[in-house]
Amino acid sequence: MSEGLVHDIGGDLGYGPILHDPEEPVFHYEWERRVFGVMFQVLRITAQRPGEMRYAIERLAEEDYFKHGGYFGRWEAVCELLLEEYGHLEIGELDQVLGALEGTGPASRARPIEKKILNLLPDDVGVKIPGAKTVRRELPNPPRFKVGDLVQAPETAQKGHTRLPAYVAGKQGFIVAIHPAEVLPDSSAHGLGERPQHVYCVGYDGDVLWGSQSEKSIKIHVDLYENYLSPVKKR
Amino acid sequence: MSHDHSYSARSPKIRIEALEDLLVEKGLVDRSRIDNLIQKFETDVGPMIGAQLVARAWTDPEFRNRLLDDADDVLSKENISGAEIEHVEVKANEPGVHNVVVCTLCSCYPWALLGLPPSWYKSPEYRSRVVREPRKVLAEMGLDLDEETKLQVWDSSSETRFLVLPERPSGTENFSVAELAALVTRDSMIGVARAETL
Repeated sequence: MSEGLVHDIGGDLGYGPILHDPEEPVFHYEWERRVFGVMFQVLRITAQRPGEMRYAIERLAEEDYFKHGGYFGRWEAVCELLLEEYGHLEIGELDQVLGALEGTGPASRARPIEKKILNLLPDDVGVKIPGAKTVRRELPNPPRFKVGDLVQAPETAQKGHTRLPAYVAGKQGFIVAIHPAEVLPDSSAHGLGERPQHVYCVGYDGDVLWGSQSEKSIKIHVDLYENYLSPVKKR
Repeated sequence: MSHDHSYSARSPKIRIEALEDLLVEKGLVDRSRIDNLIQKFETDVGPMIGAQLVARAWTDPEFRNRLLDDADDVLSKENISGAEIEHVEVKANEPGVHNVVVCTLCSCYPWALLGLPPSWYKSPEYRSRVVREPRKVLAEMGLDLDEETKLQVWDSSSETRFLVLPERPSGTENFSVAELAALVTRDSMIGVARAETL
């Protein structure tokens, strides 16, 4: 996990066996059902922009992210956070209703929204939107990279929301495919416009990511937005 | 308040019950819409949708090619729409190549094809480990791959969603599409298992 980023855990060491149940039900408890249903009603009046809900989840305290009932627990916590941030609940209102001490709820422990540095974000360009309610965009400019190009993302991403996993930052990988262009969540999650980007599937060999200890013949593919990537000269 | 309720008030179960009541009281949410959504994802949406696509791909080479080449076009023509399938890519397992899907940053998953993701897929254990030691993770989950098999991991970090097309089990040459679809498990379309055998 990189500093301050509770969710960015790809490749982190120290996790144990996967609790795998091939037959598990959609929901385990009634409260998970209610969280699922409530969440989409809450989103209608709060986080509407691409990436905004994910960024709210990423701002939860570590204890709430991991130990507040798992996935649906995170969603419960983020409902409270978004409702407070959008002014639909007073700060601490749910704690009062529950007769709990102020600060019991997860919203009180969440981190604030970070400021993005505007000139580190790519420019916004006018684009076509291919359909209703989609993050796909049709860009006027062609993709900067082609399949087979060697690319690299910077060692550290800008603070705030991003879809650059830390485990590939600073590593060299090859463009494997070009996906449809999308709204850039790093920008839209922060309300800074769509700034859509070409999106690439980048393939990394195991030993590039994990060194000589890597398992053999594994390739890890990550989808990255064009503004994350720089060309690497082949030696 | 005569005593502190903070211990139980930390539980997400207690909090969501109170939150739902509070939001209904404020007129911010509609309980019938909540109920309808829950019902939809418990009954109408699930891995049977993806399993149909896989079974058809096993029996119809032209359909298989279209699915691998342009899944969005196939889904549109089949009138399959819904959440979390803005752009879908299907990755075919074949002798010597195995595919497995993860979302390390959250829990992205093709909902409209597979339903809601299982707990293990969303767990920090799976998300952290399957990109670093996928062979070990799959072996722990009961899928042993030989060392020569190339293992391709797909981390769902953009809005592209991945579906694995498992290999057709041998001995199923005379099976109907419906019989074949029954062998296609959710786990096999994530890539942590093979399709079921007879």
